[in-house]
Amino acid sequence: MPELLQFAFSGLTVGAVYALVALGFTLIYNASDVVNFAQGEFVMLGGMATVFLHLAGVPLPMAAALAILITVGVGLALYAFAIDPARGSSAVTIIIITIGASIFLRGVAQVVFDKRFHALPHWFGSDPIRIGGAAILPQSLVVLFGAGLIVALIFLIIDRTLLGRAILATAANRLAARLVGIPVRKIVALSFALSAAIGAVAGILVTPITLTSYDVGTLLALKGFAAAMLGGMGSAVGAVVGGLLLGLAESFGAGLISSKYKDAIAFLIILGVLFVRPQGLFGKRSVERV
Amino acid sequence: MLEIRDLRSAYGRIEVLHGLDLDVQRNEIVCLIGGNGAGKTTLLRAISGVQPVTGGSITFEGQDITGLPAEKRVALGIAQVPEGRQIFGGLTVEDNLNLGGWLNGGGTQKERDDIYALFPILHEKRALQAGGLSGGQQQMLAIGRALMSRPRLLLLDEPSMGLAPVLVEQVFGVIENLQQRGITILLVEQNAAAALAKSNRGFVIETGDITHSGASSDLIGDPKLREAYLGQ
Repeated sequence: MPELLQFAFSGLTVGAVYALVALGFTLIYNASDVVNFAQGEFVMLGGMATVFLHLAGVPLPMAAALAILITVGVGLALYAFAIDPARGSSAVTIIIITIGASIFLRGVAQVVFDKRFHALPHWFGSDPIRIGGAAILPQSLVVLFGAGLIVALIFLIIDRTLLGRAILATAANRLAARLVGIPVRKIVALSFALSAAIGAVAGILVTPITLTSYDVGTLLALKGFAAAMLGGMGSAVGAVVGGLLLGLAESFGAGLISSKYKDAIAFLIILGVLFVRPQGLFGKRSVERV
Repeated sequence: MLEIRDLRSAYGRIEVLHGLDLDVQRNEIVCLIGGNGAGKTTLLRAISGVQPVTGGSITFEGQDITGLPAEKRVALGIAQVPEGRQIFGGLTVEDNLNLGGWLNGGGTQKERDDIYALFPILHEKRALQAGGLSGGQQQMLAIGRALMSRPRLLLLDEPSMGLAPVLVEQVFGVIENLQQRGITILLVEQNAAAALAKSNRGFVIETGDITHSGASSDLIGDPKLREAYLGQ
């Protein structure tokens, strides 16, 4: 019994990070139909930039804030220099551009930072809290709480503000959005900035537990993509649920079957979703009369 | 109010507007008629700034707007009700109106109430998904959304398309009402008889060129046009 609880806790912690990555995918996909495979690099940049700024003597909270700003800058640059010039190209072309950008960012990180693993201090110490025989790191709670806060914030923006409606409108009908005066390129740039910020925060929150290095982004992007597919590409609720489910599936799979197959689970889920329910759990089936 | 000179536009290498001239005076209803593929929609999109132009100029109230981005033109007072309505189907009716007022922070309650007074059915359905509205209701919503941007020139692309005759009548009634409120209207129609009957002046476009223009009453009487567009 305590094992199961333990698996559940570690699954939710990892799942919260997947959920944030998936939410980043969803935001950009919704505003621009682009699947941004450099999403994982945002997570890496958040963690790595915080580590190195901290090493350079910047106090930790300041380092984290700067790291988020840097990552947002990278996200905006990615849009301005790689995605926007290719607007009008096919989806496949743009996806390949984002894969290229991901490799590029990894390469730059390798040079600017280094190739070793780095950690950040736990926010509230590393003594586990015992609940029902399971041990939870206080940092896990920070990850869960932080992820919950970000998700709530994003939902609030999309659901309650005119800006959020404009993002949805841009996603739904770009021509009509332009005709009512919505500056669609700025909206798409904003979605890249938001996604970058979400990724960076995820990286900062989780680095004390999982460590970070220049190449953690690749696998995170694939896992986040699997989570977004599972939840239904384009659905923000789906991204969060998909992320948590994927984290739980990995954790229980690793615990009950074998930890060797942990990373395979995400890919099995992608295949399963494509075979059984290509639109995902919360995939859109909007009603539209013509 | 609107002056178009030698306007050219192309899709890739294929030119679809071959240097056409058109002008709209303040508070007129001007209609543009022509067959499928003549370039009507392309022209309206070029005026709104969502279709690139390759030559010529568009002047609005004395200001050259040829190179201006779409949102700046909306801010100057040019709104468009696009072909096929193009409402935001996944959002509510009210959200659609609010987005129409995007440049004015979503518009005021009074502005929304004005639209609801014009189209009471939209008030009834304001909390529902716009995609579930009937074709006629979607057309009203598309007009309402365009009005929320406080336009002085309203471009209407085939507002009667696919509507039952009684709704067509209602839409044209609204257009005349808007003219009385001081809004200038450029109307694209395939329903040439109705468009000429309701408008002050008309232009006929064929394969990217204006072939006829004049007072609508004269165009209705032109035997060639009667044969080509009015089926008589």
